[in-house]
Amino acid sequence: MTKIYLDLLPALILFSSFILVSNKRIASYIRTFRFQSLLIAVGAGVIGLETGRIDVLLVCLLMVALKVIYIPNLLNSTFANVTYKVEKDFFFNIPILIIACCLLVVFSYLAIPTADGIINVQVANLVSAVLIGLIFMITRKKAFGQIVGFLVIENGLFATAMFATQGLPFIIDLGMFIDLLTAVLVMGVLVFRISDEFDSVDVNRLNNLKG
Amino acid sequence: MGLLLLLIPIIAAPLFFLLKNRQLIYRLSLVVSASLTVISLILTKEVIAASYIQYAVLGGFFYLDSLSIIVLDIITIIGLVASIYSIGYLEEDLGRGKISEDQIRTYYLLMYVFIFTMILAATVKNMGIMWVAIEATTLASVFLVGFYSTKESLEAAWKYLIICSVGIAIAFLGIIFLHLSSLDVLTDAQFLDWVALSEHAKALKTPALRLAFLFIAIGFGTKAGLAPMHTWLPGAHSQAPSPISALLSGVLLNGAMYGIIRTVTIVNKNLNSSQFTGQFLIAIGLLSVGIAAVIILTQKEYKSLLAYSSIEHMGIIALAIGLFTPQAVFGGLFHMINHSFTKSMLFFATGSILHRFGTNKIDKVKGVLKVLPVTGTAFYLGLFAIAGVPPFSIFASELGIIVSIFVDGRFIIGSAFILLLAVIFTGIALNLFKMFYSDGPEPEGEPLKINPAGTVAIMLLLLVIFTTGFYMPEGLRSLIYNAQMIIMGVK
Repeated sequence: MTKIYLDLLPALILFSSFILVSNKRIASYIRTFRFQSLLIAVGAGVIGLETGRIDVLLVCLLMVALKVIYIPNLLNSTFANVTYKVEKDFFFNIPILIIACCLLVVFSYLAIPTADGIINVQVANLVSAVLIGLIFMITRKKAFGQIVGFLVIENGLFATAMFATQGLPFIIDLGMFIDLLTAVLVMGVLVFRISDEFDSVDVNRLNNLKG
Repeated sequence: MGLLLLLIPIIAAPLFFLLKNRQLIYRLSLVVSASLTVISLILTKEVIAASYIQYAVLGGFFYLDSLSIIVLDIITIIGLVASIYSIGYLEEDLGRGKISEDQIRTYYLLMYVFIFTMILAATVKNMGIMWVAIEATTLASVFLVGFYSTKESLEAAWKYLIICSVGIAIAFLGIIFLHLSSLDVLTDAQFLDWVALSEHAKALKTPALRLAFLFIAIGFGTKAGLAPMHTWLPGAHSQAPSPISALLSGVLLNGAMYGIIRTVTIVNKNLNSSQFTGQFLIAIGLLSVGIAAVIILTQKEYKSLLAYSSIEHMGIIALAIGLFTPQAVFGGLFHMINHSFTKSMLFFATGSILHRFGTNKIDKVKGVLKVLPVTGTAFYLGLFAIAGVPPFSIFASELGIIVSIFVDGRFIIGSAFILLLAVIFTGIALNLFKMFYSDGPEPEGEPLKINPAGTVAIMLLLLVIFTTGFYMPEGLRSLIYNAQMIIMGVK
């Protein structure tokens, strides 16, 4: 029975990445991120119950506390101070992005099962989620898009690691959480300083350093 | 004993924030970095005697062998010199009103967290923890890059943070594949333990391992500044305060390279040949040298030029590791040491030039030798050293690598490499020597306060790179030799 859940959840996580790519509003970026984190937390819960490991259940709780509640709220409050609400200009329009993402999924299905059959559909799905996070990151022009992109990549990695290894050792999980939290705080502070100094959070304006 | 390496900086870091007196902060910093250096040198002796050190605490995560002790010694020694040099540098900044006293506290706090994370990365044997530490180095140093809060430095900090975080994230994907390749081979307690991975390398699953290598090489390669993932590096190195540029260039890049080297050892042992990793690393190494060569020829700012030169030297090390012959690996490791010392010395010297002339632009700086006789001379000689002129140590290691390329029978790679090195020498001579020869008016602004400790530190580094050019102490030789054996998988 749990096998079904464990196959379903990566597919849903991949699906949520597609939702993210088609989002235009900053508020919906954050909502999608929250949804995706919740799915991963559920995954950690299922794996924890199945293997009976307390530390994986603890990871599930940490996941809910940090990525479902704390970080999205932090982003929301940071975002409330920034003027723009809707991203108007992308480097590519959304339908093209969706097609590119589909190609990425095909790519990871082709690339990954070559590994002796020990790597399964779950991992292929989650690696595509990581790649889609990368696409999201490079096609958004505002600093916020890059922060959310980073978080989604991190989410994908975390999920890949968890589903592939049936729960990492706790010390590595803990290290990842601490790194992630620091990264988000650092990025938040930096975005503030950038918007003070440049009067904008458009990363295209960051072009003073060339050559 | 070794655990003190991790405890001292992490205990000291908050103290910097609490101390009110500036002089006390400086003294504490000197004491901390000096004790780190002493401990690491004692450990070096132990490693030479016993070939590795491991403690039983926390599942034996603390592990040092000849390879990691080289990286560790570079961290602590350059850290010590940086902390000596920082005092004069920060006083000068403070005197010119560029920073406030509070910022000095932040500076030292972040610098020691940064040093802590780098020491952690070099002293653990678990790839997972090593990854966490390398990611943490980025986070600790971001605000040091953006220290002056100017437009350029904030831009550099943002690029540094975003590009390196994503790069490191990709490396983690590689680490997951590394684990997948070891399923059913290692026990749970040996999770991602590279000593065990390297011991059982033959039994690992090859396809997953290949993927792991590619992801790790791209990921850590981003952090090591290899082209084409190098784009964050010139900005970050040129915008950071000079002592931090020295740490970034002389120490941080090695840490990431160390991660790649560990993986190469495992993969090559598994595949029983170095062709797969070699092709990748040689290509990416030559590309780095090539891109650096082109840009050095046309560079307008001296700190950026030095940053591109770091990309070049990381490329050379990657090339040497890619060749994977004993002589090339030996040369690569020696080159890593030489580059760290030479480049950090140059960055320290640019600190004085930047303060005196107040500009980053090469053509605004004239008559360095007249205005700053001592530092200027050191900078001048250092440029010869970094361009690979004898009798300095970089010449010795570059020569070793070039010879090994030809001994290996790769004539095209060897010729291309020599040509690119010649272009880089021309670029450095063409662009930077103008700073010394042309006579200009005395720059405006007050002359520098004398920073005797900092000048002595620069001179000492110069002496080191000069002597190791033709004389290698027996201890160093056996250390590098043992590290080479570890990389080749003989031990």
